[in-house]
Amino acid sequence: MLQLLQDYDCWVFDLDGTIWRGNEVIEGVLEALELLRKLGKKVLFMTNNSMKSRGSYLDKCLQVGLPAHVDDIYCSSYSAAAYLDSIGFDRSKKAYVVGERGIMQELAAVGIESFGGPDDNEKRASFSSEMLHDTQVGAVVCGVDPNLSYYKVQYASMCLLLNPGCLFIATNTDARGHFTPNLEWAGAGATVGAIKGVVERDPIVTGKPSPFLMQDIAAKHNVQPAKSIMVGDRLDTDILWGLNTGMATLLVMTGVTDEQLLVAQRGSSNGVKPHFVMDSFGDLRRVAQQALQQQK
Amino acid sequence: MVSCKAVANGTTQPRRADTDDKRKLIDSVDCFIFDCDGVIWRGDSVIDGVPETLDMLRAMGKRLVFVTNNSTKSRAGYLGKFTGLGLNVNAEEIYSSSYAAAAYLESIDFKKKVYVIGESGILEELDLKGIQHLGGPEDAEKVVALKKGEYMEHDEDVGAVVVGFDRHINYYKIQYATLCIRENPGCLFIATNRDAVTHLTDAQEWAGNGSMVGAIAGSTKREPITVGKPAEFMLDNIAKTFGLKRQQICMVGDRLDTDILFGKNGGLTTCLVLSGVTDEETLLSPENSVHPDYYMSQLSELLAVKEAAKVAA
Repeated sequence: MLQLLQDYDCWVFDLDGTIWRGNEVIEGVLEALELLRKLGKKVLFMTNNSMKSRGSYLDKCLQVGLPAHVDDIYCSSYSAAAYLDSIGFDRSKKAYVVGERGIMQELAAVGIESFGGPDDNEKRASFSSEMLHDTQVGAVVCGVDPNLSYYKVQYASMCLLLNPGCLFIATNTDARGHFTPNLEWAGAGATVGAIKGVVERDPIVTGKPSPFLMQDIAAKHNVQPAKSIMVGDRLDTDILWGLNTGMATLLVMTGVTDEQLLVAQRGSSNGVKPHFVMDSFGDLRRVAQQALQQQK
Repeated sequence: MVSCKAVANGTTQPRRADTDDKRKLIDSVDCFIFDCDGVIWRGDSVIDGVPETLDMLRAMGKRLVFVTNNSTKSRAGYLGKFTGLGLNVNAEEIYSSSYAAAAYLESIDFKKKVYVIGESGILEELDLKGIQHLGGPEDAEKVVALKKGEYMEHDEDVGAVVVGFDRHINYYKIQYATLCIRENPGCLFIATNRDAVTHLTDAQEWAGNGSMVGAIAGSTKREPITVGKPAEFMLDNIAKTFGLKRQQICMVGDRLDTDILFGKNGGLTTCLVLSGVTDEETLLSPENSVHPDYYMSQLSELLAVKEAAKVAA
């Protein structure tokens, strides 16, 4: 543990299942983060939860007593907007969103017009008349959608099948997420799976485990992957993202991954293996103190 | 008379059936399996000559089976459509994917409960097999609000989730099904079919059951057992139910990727009709590698056999 604190200058944290569960901060985590900052470490956050914008996540951090700056927060809604920006998305076109408001806010922040999202929650497909769609949609952007419907799947599919060159963008394809403290809910994987089942092609994934956001982070925060460590609860997103971007990885057991899954992955030849494991990041203070005691 | 042509790469071109071919086809098989949409009817209109053709085949002692991947109605529900179009058919000759799901569960001696994503057809077929179910249309208006304290219980006795076409798919259903598959040990994930698009109206294509199944595959990272075309189960079940060998059966359909491939993979004789989704150009294109044994414009072309017999006599 002391070695970890010495070797890594930049610590990137997943949010759901690592820092908090729903609206409840995991015990000891705030103190652990304070310790890192006191030691002069850079602390960043990276979440695949596509429901909010960076600004909204900042509000949530402040609400639970976690000091942060909007530039330190990366989320999958931002990753989709940043990706479209990076490829020079034609601003005369629009994006159709199947997901929450956060995606639309991030798209607006880079000057991309979008529609759909929660504004289409009450719409229902009518089979008695022809369903029309906007031929100016140049990208369909997906995230978790607690109001997914046949109408939305059909609309998104029509854009992808009928508008030449329309991009299929997924903020992430997570099967599940800790959107409330005591239950995991179907994630963006369901939204993406529904549309993929019609259009029969894979989306471009911009959030974890895609390495796309690493360029953004490296440039803005002047960090080197070799001196950075990713802390998260999910092997197939957090840990894999760390591995894909050349960072060290620390798995915590406070979220999605249980002992059984970890053992299975370790035993498999192509399993995702974290460098380090802790029961909870909140244990940092206690573990660091124990290590210091042992040194004496 | 059109003869077989061997093309440069060594495979033969599909054969447009002449009268001799049609007679040979009818004589060589004991059972015809028909896809419905594009073969028997188009939307809500029966394709001309079909009722007489079916009567002729029956009179010649052939068994007829009608298959559809559409899971929204039960067999009894489809019977209404057949008789309404003037077609003489029994409910036991109709093989809908809704029936296939219930038949599959019966074949594995399933004793638990089923959570259904889909419409009433699946529920009716499960009732007929005495299988307990939850979900279906009664969950159509349920809403999930992901706020603090929100929780979802699920029935631990659910041993299978059956996913069929559902115009009222919603997040509640997706989450309930996901919990059953994830948390109930051994819970099965069954798909009636995975058609990407369906032709509910003539005006355009509509998202098919591929989307409902895709949603659950995406939230569980599991692949389903598929019971409808082009999976083997339907064919196995038909052959078993009627005591037939594969060589005794001819599959008649309008789609290369489901009907004809389904028939070929199952060792059946296959016949494509051009009265539905596939045109002659697509069939004969060098890009198409799915070759039916015979093809014809529409099913009623088989009536030529009757005419030839009259002339001969």
